[in-house]
Amino acid sequence: MIETDIWSQLLGGFATAGTPINLLWAFVGCALGTAIGVLPGLGPAVTVAMLLPITGQVEPTSSMIFFAGIYYGAMYGGSTTSILLNTPGETGTMVTALEGFKMAKSGRAGAALATSAIGSFVAGSIATVLVTLFAPLLADYAVRLGPPEYFCLMLLAFTTVSAVLGNSTLRGMTALFVGLALGLIGMDQITGQVRYTGNVLELMDGIEVVLVAVGLFAVGEAFYNALYEGKSVSSLNKMTSVHMTRSEWRRSWPAWLRGTFMGFPFGTIPAGGTEIPTFLSYATERKLADPEHKKEFGTTGAIEGVAGPEAANNAAVTGTLVPLLTLGIPTSVTTAILLSAFQNYGINPGPQLFQTSSTLVWALIASLYIGNVMLLVLNLPLVGFWVKLLRIPKPQLYAGILIFATVGVYGMRQSAFDLYLMGGLALLGVLMRRFDFPIAPVIVGLIMGPLAEAQMRNALSIGEGRWTVFIDRPMSLFLLIVVALVLVTPRLLAWHRRA
Amino acid sequence: MQNSSRSTTLQTLIALGALGVAAVLAWGAAQIPSAAGYSGVGPAFLPWLVAGVLALCGVLLLLQARRGGFHDVEPPTGADRGDWRSFAWLAAGLLLNATLIEHAGFIVSCALCYALAVRGLRLAEGQSTSLPRMGQDLLTGVVIAAPVYWLFTQVLAVNLPGLTSTGWF
Repeated sequence: MIETDIWSQLLGGFATAGTPINLLWAFVGCALGTAIGVLPGLGPAVTVAMLLPITGQVEPTSSMIFFAGIYYGAMYGGSTTSILLNTPGETGTMVTALEGFKMAKSGRAGAALATSAIGSFVAGSIATVLVTLFAPLLADYAVRLGPPEYFCLMLLAFTTVSAVLGNSTLRGMTALFVGLALGLIGMDQITGQVRYTGNVLELMDGIEVVLVAVGLFAVGEAFYNALYEGKSVSSLNKMTSVHMTRSEWRRSWPAWLRGTFMGFPFGTIPAGGTEIPTFLSYATERKLADPEHKKEFGTTGAIEGVAGPEAANNAAVTGTLVPLLTLGIPTSVTTAILLSAFQNYGINPGPQLFQTSSTLVWALIASLYIGNVMLLVLNLPLVGFWVKLLRIPKPQLYAGILIFATVGVYGMRQSAFDLYLMGGLALLGVLMRRFDFPIAPVIVGLIMGPLAEAQMRNALSIGEGRWTVFIDRPMSLFLLIVVALVLVTPRLLAWHRRA
Repeated sequence: MQNSSRSTTLQTLIALGALGVAAVLAWGAAQIPSAAGYSGVGPAFLPWLVAGVLALCGVLLLLQARRGGFHDVEPPTGADRGDWRSFAWLAAGLLLNATLIEHAGFIVSCALCYALAVRGLRLAEGQSTSLPRMGQDLLTGVVIAAPVYWLFTQVLAVNLPGLTSTGWF
């Protein structure tokens, strides 16, 4: 019976995740993740990317628990910065900055931090239960998907990441195809043909993901700061004691639940990103609030406006693990990097993952529960410690980031050439940020490009070289229609509005 | 003083850059033998596709740039003009790091990079760095780089270059 099967596997996962060494990895990951989330300039994606060299030595279960801890922790930590400093650490915490910062300015920083941490815990726990229940079922179904369907799913992911995020589909597409171009460098998987290496030996293995992520984000951020943000000042809000009154609890918990159930589905579909569910949750809470609380929105700060979006954010982030573990399709930059980590171990996430590496997967899921508890402790009573991190002056912070970037990039392939490439990519990152080109599609294109190409060519082999194989099969036809809708609908709406 | 991101000249250059990349891709694609084999399309297919789409994107970007600028641009945060002097210090630090790391070792090279970068970032904030302060920065750089080096080489067994071959420095 499937319920007892899931239950016994989950218990096995707890046994693996609960060993002292894995608990230690989980704790270090969560702590590091919180620190990263609190500090501006680094995100979970880049941090995991910089730490990818450890996959050479640490065994897969422990390192995936560690990386997942960072992913999660960053989300908890990012809320702290949004509330106290109005500079969101992560896009998902952008909405928290709206109301949370207002609450902090009116002297209720503590309540905002409390509702954010507890809400994240509630949402994370519920979402993890949903993952536990749905992921194995989805994996069972997904085994029936073939290369044509996979290719169309990836196409959908490409489309949504470039068309839905950011202001301009054109610029998003440009970024995506730059990423695809970078992914072309190296040896073709199927024929062994060398492409775009220009006879440079180091490029034979392609461009390392770490290099691109660290170059575009971390070093690019440092460059951008030196160029444009030297004179920007951010004021730190005062901390108050972290607890909520009875009425604040009463207002928060329905928002937490609504946020969770809004956020989780968005995380699971390749619609990419946590912006949509968090904004949706914010709009919903604003609509549903009683009149006397409604006027707090945008003025003194309404607690529902923090509780809902935070829960939605956490649930969405947990949800992104579903397509990663069941289909092998990353729906965010961090999950794309996690995919890279799996690949370093020679593990290819997909529906078979639950059969071939079930100990790893269930230990990872179990560690999510454990991680949530750890993060609640790290973020509620210990939040004062993280706030101190915010006092590190920017020059030292960004210069320190450069040292970590060097470790991450050099540690992967022991090549100084990579460091030069990293610098070049950092310049590209500055350019992209300056002219409003989204960076996430570059990473997604780089990592998924080779995978999508392989699926496409496999699909064509199955279809004996005919392109109709993609529309002959109902599932892939359906996905292609969705892709077309995603591309066309915003244009139609805009045209309709103008008419 | 207009924000440099609104400059249509720069935007045109970016669009031309995209076209340039597309051209390079097309040139490279032409050199790939496109033996199709069983899979219907060969290793040259995707390169041509990417080159084609990037060329299209470049043309559309160029049109937008010449007709008044990119659409729906969100103004970037920060100053209107770049502080290239500060940037130069940062770039110098990174270049030095890349050239020195395999000769002087991780700790020395990163400490120097740190010191130069801090100088550049301080310059961006309008502060100047005196010589003793730079010495302090160098020391801080060592204090950060050394534990990182030890953590990665001793505990995590990642290969990082050292000045000596003891594995500690």
